[in-house]
Amino acid sequence: MNEDNKMTDKKVIETEITMGTVHSAAIEPYRVRLFVEDEIVRDAEITVGINHRGIERIMEGLPVEKANSLTEKICGICSNSHIWNSVLVAEKAIGIDVPERAQYIRVIMEELERLHSHMLYLAHGSEVLGHETFAMRFFYIRETVMELLRMIGGNRVQYGVSIIGGVRPRCELDEMRILKIREGMDIIEEKILEFADRFVSDPMIMARITGVGVLTQKQAIKLAATGPTLRSTGVETDLRREMESYDPFEFDVITQDDGDVKSNLLVRVLEIPEAIKIIRQALDNLPGGKITNRSWEMQDAPITKSYIEVPRGKLYHSYSLEDGRVRNCIIRTPSITNIGAMQYAAVGHHITDAQLAIVQCDPCFTCTDRAIQIIKI
Amino acid sequence: MSLKSYSRARAIHVMLVYTGGCNGCDIEIVNCIFSPKYDAEQYKVFLTWNPREADVLVVTGPVTKHNEKPLIEIYNAIPEPKAVIAAGACALMGGVYKNIHGDIPSEEIAGPVDKIIPVDAKVPGCAVRPEDILSGVVAALPLLLNAK
Repeated sequence: MNEDNKMTDKKVIETEITMGTVHSAAIEPYRVRLFVEDEIVRDAEITVGINHRGIERIMEGLPVEKANSLTEKICGICSNSHIWNSVLVAEKAIGIDVPERAQYIRVIMEELERLHSHMLYLAHGSEVLGHETFAMRFFYIRETVMELLRMIGGNRVQYGVSIIGGVRPRCELDEMRILKIREGMDIIEEKILEFADRFVSDPMIMARITGVGVLTQKQAIKLAATGPTLRSTGVETDLRREMESYDPFEFDVITQDDGDVKSNLLVRVLEIPEAIKIIRQALDNLPGGKITNRSWEMQDAPITKSYIEVPRGKLYHSYSLEDGRVRNCIIRTPSITNIGAMQYAAVGHHITDAQLAIVQCDPCFTCTDRAIQIIKI
Repeated sequence: MSLKSYSRARAIHVMLVYTGGCNGCDIEIVNCIFSPKYDAEQYKVFLTWNPREADVLVVTGPVTKHNEKPLIEIYNAIPEPKAVIAAGACALMGGVYKNIHGDIPSEEIAGPVDKIIPVDAKVPGCAVRPEDILSGVVAALPLLLNAK
């Protein structure tokens, strides 16, 4: 048996560098094993599952309104995406009409969230690069978005805007709020273009990120990478094009060709003006009327699915309804396939670039730990 | 105030340990030290990822079973005197992840934090506000500075 194993292992790589579960280079707990030969990474293995808290198990059997607000606690960065998608599943299953004004407010919140998520990515990326000044600058403009989110939702992180049939009454956008959002968008647009210009024209940064952590288009498609990670390899894909809520808005899908850290950064930087464009269109054409449709009745429904585009890619929620309670809940977040793809992006590069190659996909390990595999021994 | 306390008051190093929460508190704490709006660095509070140079340990999250042992090891690696701050609803009492089980032992969650390591200051909130984090650090400071 042992001899068979030796036959199949053509080359034994001896040096192994392990990081995690808690490590100074990685903020979130996860485990990376890098197999190194002459300081070049030959193989990488990322282990997730440390954060598993079993939120689907907790959601099982809860009333659907409670279960929806629980999905927010999956992720503190894209919390609005989770609650929005979860509410969409219930609306689709029961067949509830959502007022147009509520749909516009949801889109505005989602795009604000995309802004703060992408800025966080840029700040985190700059920190991993070792450029703390840029990290502070991106945190500085991100604060504008956080203030807007607090103004609308009442909380800086988990704002719970969507409810079944519309949005919470607190999140109504009056004249004052619309004015403040417009002011915030002006500030962000001015600053982000200035910072992006400085970022791209800095030869040291460009030398550090060009050609590092390359994921080819073929690999990305094969490994089912989603969202900006897939777009950075030149595939023009955006689920927002197919979503009903985004029908009234015009925006461009940003793609880059190289699939390296530079492309990943640029895709996110260039998506920020697009998000601002969508928010401005939504504010210009904000329809009047009610924001909540309360005339619906709970009924049983079979398993219903919903996909939406969130800052990191494609998010999937599905559950069925029994006596107003959630059953068979499944959640799949975009980071799981993106992190899997990053195992290949790190290979072939210097060991100092491994961390950069892994964080280029904007990994969110707390989202990722959704399912566990039970192995019978 | 001894010489050690005098110098320690001018360089307080905060270490953040993330034990399986939702990222919300985590980013707010980094935000409160890094972002120019809150900028705790102007009060000589610095963020570090090395337990051996840390004075204050900030723990977020409900402590999943996998994170229990690393958390104890990190706590033991911090030199005396030290202060521990549990930040956020999950770290205080397990949040939505723990309370759903009541007193039934959970399969995933080992926390809350004060079951595992002694906690000196508790900061509530879901997610914690950056202002509250600063107040929490200030509340724990007498422990550090009055130590002999």
